[in-house]
Formats: sequence, structure tokens, C-alpha cells
Amino acid sequence: MKKVISVNNITSGYDKHKIITDASFDINAGEFVGIIGKNGAGKSTMLKTLRGFLPVEKGSIKLFDRELSDYSQRDLAIQIAYLQQQVEMTFDYTARDMVMAGRYPYIKWWEQSSDRDLEIVEACMKYTGVTELADTPIKAMSGGQRQRVYLAKVLAQQTHVLFLDEPASGLDLFYQEEIFRFCREMCNYGKTVIMVVHELNLAARFCSRLMLLKEGTILADGCPDAVLKDNLLTEAYGVDICSLINKETGHRDIFTVPPPDDVDKKQLIATIIGNNKHDGRGANK
Amino acid sequence: MRNYHFKLVSIILVIALILVVCTSLSAGQYNLDFIQVVAWCLHKMGIPLLTEINVTEQQEAVLMFIRSPRTVVGLLVGAGLAASGAVLQGLFSNPLADPGIIGVSSGATFGAVIAIIAGINSTSLVGLPISAFIGAVVAVSLTIGLATRHGRIPVLTLLLAGVVVGMLFSALTAAMLTIMDDHKVQQYLFWTIGSLDYRRWEHVLMGVVPISLGITIMLMMARHLNILALGEAEAKAVGMNVTKYRLILLAVATMTTASSVCITGSIGFVGLIIPHMMRMLVGPNHRRLLPASMIGGSVFLVFCDSVGRMLLTNSEINVGIMTAILGTPYFLYLLRKNMDIR
Repeated sequence: MKKVISVNNITSGYDKHKIITDASFDINAGEFVGIIGKNGAGKSTMLKTLRGFLPVEKGSIKLFDRELSDYSQRDLAIQIAYLQQQVEMTFDYTARDMVMAGRYPYIKWWEQSSDRDLEIVEACMKYTGVTELADTPIKAMSGGQRQRVYLAKVLAQQTHVLFLDEPASGLDLFYQEEIFRFCREMCNYGKTVIMVVHELNLAARFCSRLMLLKEGTILADGCPDAVLKDNLLTEAYGVDICSLINKETGHRDIFTVPPPDDVDKKQLIATIIGNNKHDGRGANK
Repeated sequence: MRNYHFKLVSIILVIALILVVCTSLSAGQYNLDFIQVVAWCLHKMGIPLLTEINVTEQQEAVLMFIRSPRTVVGLLVGAGLAASGAVLQGLFSNPLADPGIIGVSSGATFGAVIAIIAGINSTSLVGLPISAFIGAVVAVSLTIGLATRHGRIPVLTLLLAGVVVGMLFSALTAAMLTIMDDHKVQQYLFWTIGSLDYRRWEHVLMGVVPISLGITIMLMMARHLNILALGEAEAKAVGMNVTKYRLILLAVATMTTASSVCITGSIGFVGLIIPHMMRMLVGPNHRRLLPASMIGGSVFLVFCDSVGRMLLTNSEINVGIMTAILGTPYFLYLLRKNMDIR
């Protein structure tokens, strides 16, 4: 299999604050990699480092056997499309304007967008189902529609590699599954997707490989069944986690196991709830 | 859902432009009818219409040497200020940015004061504008220098640096004013309000090259500006060298604004309000917004100037005052509307 990204012993972070330490792995063409871990484990930092947005303190990152730092900004944008966690927009750009931004690295600085660019933009919007919204300002859309527009933009960049930072957060289940299905389809066509994921159940179903992070180090890396083990998840998330296959659906169910109530908690509950009977008449007796 | 009507707005703007130019040519103390102005324009263009209407030699002289240069300066400066405003707002992805905010106006004012103190303005027509231009460029360079860190220009730092540099130059100007002769203070006041009075073809010649050049470059960069306006992270994600393009566009907007301000004195609100208004009408895509802002700025400035000449019978109100009077209510309305959203 063709190696796309090769990471060797990297350390990176923001200025003096190191977040990722001594990470090494290879990613092959066609893989759908989910980066998982609890909040603050360094998932987004990992993605930004791989995209070249954050400086690498130590170690090396190779993209198609060439050092990442040897690429120009524009060449990188032709290789890797990156969808950031939250796109904050000041102005009311329409969906078409946004998707057209994906063509930016292909157009020389003095040129204007060509008919070919427009054709690609229309095709990408059609593929993600936002053709009807082409002239609608993005701010007037729902979260799910917006994400479809951003996916179209990422597609219009026509890169081999797609980086998505929590693209499914805050969306309806339907839109969430749609994004995962979209990524898997892209991988079937030979693209490589790396996604920061919070939805472990969906990650288990759709990703071909998971990378579990804890405090900036890789705790486990491999196929979902190998990574989604009770002990690994419990260690990474710091709470008791159970992971088992649902016999009805055949999908993996992942859930936390709350610790049993101790004496302290019982006392707290008594204080918080009180011993008034709540019958809707308020506190006046 | 909102639809933007680019074609309709363009047609309306062009019609408004023609009307406002004719009004500006006919308004003022020397009596000229609107229809005479239209006839004169048609005759000049060689169109055989309204041939029965005559324009006297004296009237023609007024049109040619007083009203025309004044109107052309208004068109140029209005277009330059509004286009620069649109560029700066896109560049900072901040709808409240305007050419004044990065120190252009206060720098230019300081340069003008120096020229007035040195007496350059009474010996040469171009002395004061050149001095004002240098002041503006120095102030903006200082702002950018203060804001640049590790090859990056964070937007908020730049805006704050602009405010600080603006205060510094205002203080320097105030210091100069306290030691100036009274009649020179009078000259300063006259300049600082911003006016199209007594502008001659020499002023047009001075401004036409830098302003048209600036506007042309801005129009060529519209596509890049669209990417910058999406925010720094998005621009980087599609491979843009953000700092390089920010610097280029800042330089072009500064040159254009400084060239405008140095001919007319500082005129506020055009660079802030016109891009805003046009964004509501034609949308935020700079390939439409920039041309619309240019024409809108020209119409607004020449309109304000004409109204300023028509309101009082024996005297006239400076255009800088008119833009503020008409602009303030609109600006307040914008602020309140922005508050409603958040």
C-alpha cells in the first residue's frame, strides 16, 4: 500500500507549551483514520501539526516521501484539504462563494476563476446536496446544511488527503452519519481521510483505523476492534468505560459505567434535593 | 434568505451618478439651470440633442474651471475612500474598520499641520498634499510596525496599534496647534474639515494617477480579498500567504486613502458607510462589492457636496460636515442593528 503520511517521533505544540510528544505512525492511502481521546488530549493539535499549521519541535513529518516543510503553502493546499472545527465568518458569503474558495490554490494570483473551476464547484455542491442553497448566505443555514457546504468546499480543493476536525459535532444524527458515510465513500475512491472524532459509536462503525490519544501520546493505534477495548478506553478517558458488540445491530456500543454511590454522594443528594415533597406548590407550607 | 440584485443596483447607481454629477455642476451661487448643464454636457460629447439651449461664455467658464474640477475631485476621492474602506473591512474581516482606523487621517493631518507651519502651503499648491501624504504613510507604517509579531499581523493588535498611533499623531497635531499663529490655525481648521472648495484641475491631476492605480490594483485583488475575508484560518487552509496579501492590500489602501485625503482634507464616514450599504445590496463578494462601493462612494460624496452648496443661499457647508451629518444617523443605526444580532 502507498504511504501517504509518515510521522517520525514528533513533538509539537503552541510556542513553549508542548502538547504532542514523541508520536510516530504511518498512514496509507485509502485509510479512514479517526483520532479519538478525551477533551484536551491533543487531537486537534495533532491534525494541525500534520497540516503544517504548527511548528514541529522535534522529529519529522513526510507527506508522499517529502518533508512537510519543503512544501509551499499552496502546494500543501493542493495535497491536503482541512476543515477547521468552527468556521467563523464575519460576512454573509453565499454557499457558492465559500465552495469557490476551495479552488484558490489552483488559480494563479493574476488569474480569475475559469469555467472549469465553476464546473467543479457546481459538481461538488451537487454531490453534497447543496445546489439549491448555492445563492443562500451561509449564515442563514442550519448547522447540517452549513457542514454540507464546507464538505463541498473541501471536495472542490481536489486533494488526495482530507483533514476534518470534529465535523459531526452538534449535528443531528442523520447529518452525523451522512458525514461518516461521505468520508468512507471518499476512501473507497482512494482518498485518505483523517478525522478528529467524538462520537465513538460512529467511529467504530465507519473508520478503518482509530488512533487513541492521551495527554499528547498515542495510547493505541489500529483497527477499531483493537483500540476500543475497555481497559484502553478507561485509561484514556479516566472513567470506567464498557465497550461491547450489540447482538441486535452488530454495531459496537460504548458507554460509561458510573461508579456506585458512596456515603458522601448520598449526603450531597440529600442536601441538594432536600426532603420537601415537590407537588408543584412551591416551598410555602 | 436574501437575494442580492447586482444588475439592478448597478443600473440604479449609474443613473444616480449621472444625476448627481449634473446636479453638482448646476448647484452653487452662480446661476445655472440643470437643463443647461445637461445640454452643455451633451454638446461637449458631440451629441446633437437640446441644441436650442444656449450656454453663455461666462457660464461655460464657470462649468469648465470651477464646477467640473470640483466634481471630478469629488468623484475620484469618493471612489478612493469607499473602495479603500471596503478593502480594509475585508482585510480585517471586521465590518467596522475604515481608513481612519489605521492612522491614515491623523497622520495626514499632522503632515498638513507641518506644511502649514512651514508655510509651504502658501508658496506651492502641491506642498501641503505631499506633506499630508508623507504623514499618512509614516503613521500607517508605524501602525504596521507596532502590530507585526514573528511575521504575522494579528487583526486585533493592528486595530489597537492603529488607535494608539492615531492618538499619538492627534496629540502631536494638538501640540503644534498651541504654538501656531492664529491665522495658521484658521488654515488648519479649513483643511481638517475636508472640502471640495476651490479644487482645480491641478488637484485632479495630482490625485488621478495614484487613486486610479490604487483602485485598479484593488479590483485585481478582489478574489484574494474574498479569501482573506473568510478569516485567517480559512485563508491558510486554502494555501494563502496571509501576511503577504495583508501587507500588499494595506499598502494599496493606504496609498489610495492618503492620496484622497491629501487633496480634500479628511472626510469621514464615506469609507465606513458606503461599503456597508453596498454589502447589504450586492453581497460581500468583493468582485461585486468593490465596483459598487466605488460608484456608491462617488455618488455619496458628490451628493453631499451638492447639498452643502444648495442648503444655504449665501454660503456653503463643507462636504466633510455634510458626510458626518448624513453619516452619523446611519452609523448609529448600524451599531444598534449589530447589537440586536448579538
